[in-house]
Amino acid sequence: MADKLWFLVPELILFAGVVVVSIMGLSPRKGVRDSLPLITCIFLGMAFAVIPALYSGERAEAHMEGAALLFPYLGKFAKMVVCLIGIGLVMISTGLIDRKYEHAVQTGRATFDPIRATRGEYFSFFLLSLIGVMLCCSANDLIWLFLSLELTSLPTYIMVAMSRSSRKAQEAAVKYFFLGAMSAAMFLFGFALLYGATGTIVLSEMRTAFAEQVATGGINAIGIFGMILAVLGVSFKVVAAPMHFYAPDVYEGAAVPVTAFLAFVPKTAGFIALMLLLGTMGWADHGGPGTTGLPAPVFSTLWLVAVITMTLGNIGALLQRSVKRMLAYSSIAHTGYMLIGIIAGPGLGLNAVLFYLLVYGIMNTGAFAVLAALERGGQEIETVEDLAGLRLKHPGMAAVLSICAGSLLGLPPLLGFWGKLYLFMAGVQAGQIQLVVIAGLNSAISAWYYLWLVTLPIMAKPSPQAETIVRSPSMWARVMGAIAAILIILLPVFSSRLVDATQEATKGYQGTIDIGRKFVDSGVLSPRSTNGVSRDGTQQPH
Amino acid sequence: MMGHVDQLASTINFLTLGQEASHAFPIAQAIDEMKWAGWILWLPILSMLFCGVCWILRVRGKAPAWATVFLLGSSFFITVALFMNYSAPVTIHLFDWINIHWAGGSLVANFSLYVDKLTLLWMLFVTGLGTLIALYASEYMEADLGVGYSRFFAGISFFLFAMSCLVMGDNLVMLYLGWEGVGFASYWLIGYYYQKPSAVAAAKKAFIVNRIGDLGLALGLYLIYHYFGTVQYAELFTQLQEGVDAETAAKGGWMIKVIPFLLMLAAFGKSAQLPLYVWLPDAMEGPTPVSALIHAATMVTAGVYLLCRMFPVMQLHELALPTVAWVGGLTALLAATIGMAQYDIKRIMAYSTISQLGYMFMGIGLLTTFGAAYHVFTHAFFKAVLFLTCGAIMHGFAGQLDLRKVSGLRHMKGWKITSYTMLYACLCLIGFPLISSGFYSKDLIMAQAFITRGPGFTALGMIAILTALLTAYYTFRVWFRVCAGETKYEMGDEHHDDHGGVEHHPHAPGPVINFVLVAICVGAVASIFLGGWAESMVNQSSAQIIDHGEHLVGFWGDPHRWMPLVASSVGLLGLAIAWWFHLANRKAADSLRALLLSNPLTRWLPTAMENKWYVDEIYHALIRAPLWGVGVLLYMIDRYLVDMLLVDGIGRLPRWMGRAFQPLQNGVLQSYAISMAGGVGLVVMLILYMPKLLAWLGGAS
Repeated sequence: MADKLWFLVPELILFAGVVVVSIMGLSPRKGVRDSLPLITCIFLGMAFAVIPALYSGERAEAHMEGAALLFPYLGKFAKMVVCLIGIGLVMISTGLIDRKYEHAVQTGRATFDPIRATRGEYFSFFLLSLIGVMLCCSANDLIWLFLSLELTSLPTYIMVAMSRSSRKAQEAAVKYFFLGAMSAAMFLFGFALLYGATGTIVLSEMRTAFAEQVATGGINAIGIFGMILAVLGVSFKVVAAPMHFYAPDVYEGAAVPVTAFLAFVPKTAGFIALMLLLGTMGWADHGGPGTTGLPAPVFSTLWLVAVITMTLGNIGALLQRSVKRMLAYSSIAHTGYMLIGIIAGPGLGLNAVLFYLLVYGIMNTGAFAVLAALERGGQEIETVEDLAGLRLKHPGMAAVLSICAGSLLGLPPLLGFWGKLYLFMAGVQAGQIQLVVIAGLNSAISAWYYLWLVTLPIMAKPSPQAETIVRSPSMWARVMGAIAAILIILLPVFSSRLVDATQEATKGYQGTIDIGRKFVDSGVLSPRSTNGVSRDGTQQPH
Repeated sequence: MMGHVDQLASTINFLTLGQEASHAFPIAQAIDEMKWAGWILWLPILSMLFCGVCWILRVRGKAPAWATVFLLGSSFFITVALFMNYSAPVTIHLFDWINIHWAGGSLVANFSLYVDKLTLLWMLFVTGLGTLIALYASEYMEADLGVGYSRFFAGISFFLFAMSCLVMGDNLVMLYLGWEGVGFASYWLIGYYYQKPSAVAAAKKAFIVNRIGDLGLALGLYLIYHYFGTVQYAELFTQLQEGVDAETAAKGGWMIKVIPFLLMLAAFGKSAQLPLYVWLPDAMEGPTPVSALIHAATMVTAGVYLLCRMFPVMQLHELALPTVAWVGGLTALLAATIGMAQYDIKRIMAYSTISQLGYMFMGIGLLTTFGAAYHVFTHAFFKAVLFLTCGAIMHGFAGQLDLRKVSGLRHMKGWKITSYTMLYACLCLIGFPLISSGFYSKDLIMAQAFITRGPGFTALGMIAILTALLTAYYTFRVWFRVCAGETKYEMGDEHHDDHGGVEHHPHAPGPVINFVLVAICVGAVASIFLGGWAESMVNQSSAQIIDHGEHLVGFWGDPHRWMPLVASSVGLLGLAIAWWFHLANRKAADSLRALLLSNPLTRWLPTAMENKWYVDEIYHALIRAPLWGVGVLLYMIDRYLVDMLLVDGIGRLPRWMGRAFQPLQNGVLQSYAISMAGGVGLVVMLILYMPKLLAWLGGAS
């Protein structure tokens, strides 16, 4: 237990933050309530600062051995990314919650009532959701994984509802909640089957069990069916087909900062969960030449999901006039690209996924920051046409939007290009040429709508609606937009460092098959029957 | 068999007698010290950022100029320090940039510096002249204080950064970065007067013509990476020194032999050679310091650098270097003939640059990389002076550049330094015996034409001598017209706002401009004595050529001995002709022109020369017009076929499909749930019951 606790220090810090923030949100003093985003950022910063120390040194290695994680170093990279992007998301959320109410209190039209103040709650839920993602990284059994995935999602349902006072947001939250519950049921069912197939819920033991099954003739059908259900269930979190239906409605219903949150945080948790789940079966080469080596049915599922996801996402985005819906669909498409890395597996593939999570986090937050920084008559900007000719009145935001959209499209030399390059390279490396070609075609389709976002603000003449756009009161969204744009331009110079960091993150993962063979050869693995699969494979379902 | 090991490594031999491009030059070793050399790159970037901040804050003072001069100057001193500390070729790793490894391959292009003597030779004049030109510009650009002043210096700084990146990078990707950066910076600065349509057109022309060359570099880079598996010089050179192995050669086939031609195309674009020279004469639309920078220190020398750096690669095809020589020779001649018939002094200087660059390429092709690099070095100084003096005249006479309208400058008060530095630079350009730097560097190249054996190289030597005659004529045509003779002038039509209207009196250059002119002239004189040094510099780099000591017997047997005599007599002849037509008897020039024009048989000659041989018009007819036609056609297709039929069609399609799929995306919770569950069911069914289909789809077994 001490081994596990060692790696939970950042989560504990954030939990302290949750308590502090939720209490401070009730303060009758306005200054205290206004400082909430800052306090949240400070806790995130503290968690960020602690992480590197936890993963270096002899004590860390000893704990790592004890904790027996599938990807021992994954937490370092993923948690740091979550903290950083979390700070960006806090910045664009500043001034969102309780805006009308606070205004009323300030002008004396209402008296402050702690029951009605929700800002503190918002930021505590915000932090709780981030804690969920972080816990995912340290998960070493299925229960833990399930709970942390749900901890990621549950607060987001509430955040969607409280982000706007409009009925659209309530509706979105209810939809999101019910569909989320359905997906949870689905992957929980999958987890149960995985337990049935291996007799254990501990991920590293599952890996050994699967290795043993492979060594003795193949993974049994229950295990494979469980894995497929788990993958499809988790595809709700990463917004992949066929579980993507909710995304456009929910993303549109929530306020812009929450949409940005939804497009990054649950997705990160989902991809980490996918890595851990698939890691138990492994990408070792039992699939034959030219394949990535996942069991064929699992591989086919992922392949199909990836292709459908990226295609549906891009075609859906093509048809949108609403910026938020467009970005929602594009978020679906990006999931499709990232699944290429998941399919390609350890080595370049998973590194590329982790790299892309960071890249996507930055450019996604930047693009939403622009939407959060501008408003018209107190309302969010709706359609793409509203952004036409933005440069005349808001040159900075126009530039940021163009840079972020260019990066989302993958224009060299922006950050998004490098992200896609690594993903596609991983695909080619794993022999998935068709998949990369499809992804390339999809990228070309996506150029259609991204180039709108690149060119409309800069080159088009302003539409009448665009004239009335003003800055929203909080400056932090603008600051975040500028930071994102700078990072998008500058980080490619250091992309090699980041790639090194992702390599470190997947270090220590051992392919299943090697372990299995080693055990079998050295006689450690007894020829006992496991879940109906004997060593000589007589009862093998295949 | 093509591409046999030894054959490829020594294809060059049949061209030469006694000389051989060597594969034994020292290759850089990675070292973990001297990281401070990175500041040569970072200081210009810092300077650019500072100027950018000044631009945002709308600083009205000269702070951007002084900061730029100081930081570029520091960059120069660091270069000098690097030169002092130099002992053997090294690569200095600054930080990882692209660094990807996988089983069986890698793509490594880090921010590292490749420091050998070629790098140092180039960097010394790039940063040195860059600093002096920035200093000159601090006074020259005064009229734009507070308007575009910061933008201008930010551009100069970026130009220097890009050029340093190009020269110092230890891999082709960094070179490419600098290459594109230089192209972008030239667009930025040539189009500096963005309200002027001609400046914008010139900037676009420079950029677009350069893109053609850039395509060559990009393709060459891909091929090099494809066949050699690396873009780092050190690894590439090691492989080439060991000889291209039979496997690579067989894999490469003819493709590997295309690489030198692609690199050549890149060099011709950047260094303004046939057929891509047309952008350079127009590039003088930018402020004069920019022209000086482009013509002397940065940009055009990049092509020569590329071929020197990639000299081992240039030997992958036996005809590559002779092609370079011939293109260089023909460009030199063509540009010289055009230069003879122009009236705009800056334009004449632009054509002289093209012509001199032609000499440099001829030098590379004739296997005297030393001659080429030395000529780059000397040319950098005297061409900087020529442009800066032209700039001073233009500045002083309100934009007047017509050599018929300004005369007798040297008798005017305050113009002495301008006139005499220009005289010295002109002497260098024509290769005046003994006292001029051009005399030493150009003769090396011209003599080599009669030593190296290759296709028609003797004829090429003749062309070079003829070009030298023309050069002497058109150069002194300028000087005798503008600086000598009786004093009279007409002002140009450029308005100077600081005086509230058109100026009627020329104002002589100030102390800063005069200082810079003299300083660069001193540099030009010094470059005379640096020949031996430059030779040692080039010969310890990738451009090394080993002289096997062919026995050249007697005075006439050794072209290096008779060429100075021939070249200087030809130069003096040209000078005398210019003196006769443009100083002693100025009317004779006009009457000769009239005579030629009146005779129908000879009329074409002056007409064609004055119209630059109609090259722009030919390009227009052959390339631009057809492209424009294709463009119109594509626009029509896009407008009527794609937009009206396809896009609107696709636009309607979802609405039609929408009716079919309405239940799927209708916002009703239950139907979403059913869709999701149905989707999962479908996937599971597909996986379980149609494994063959999926295997076929995904390539899984």
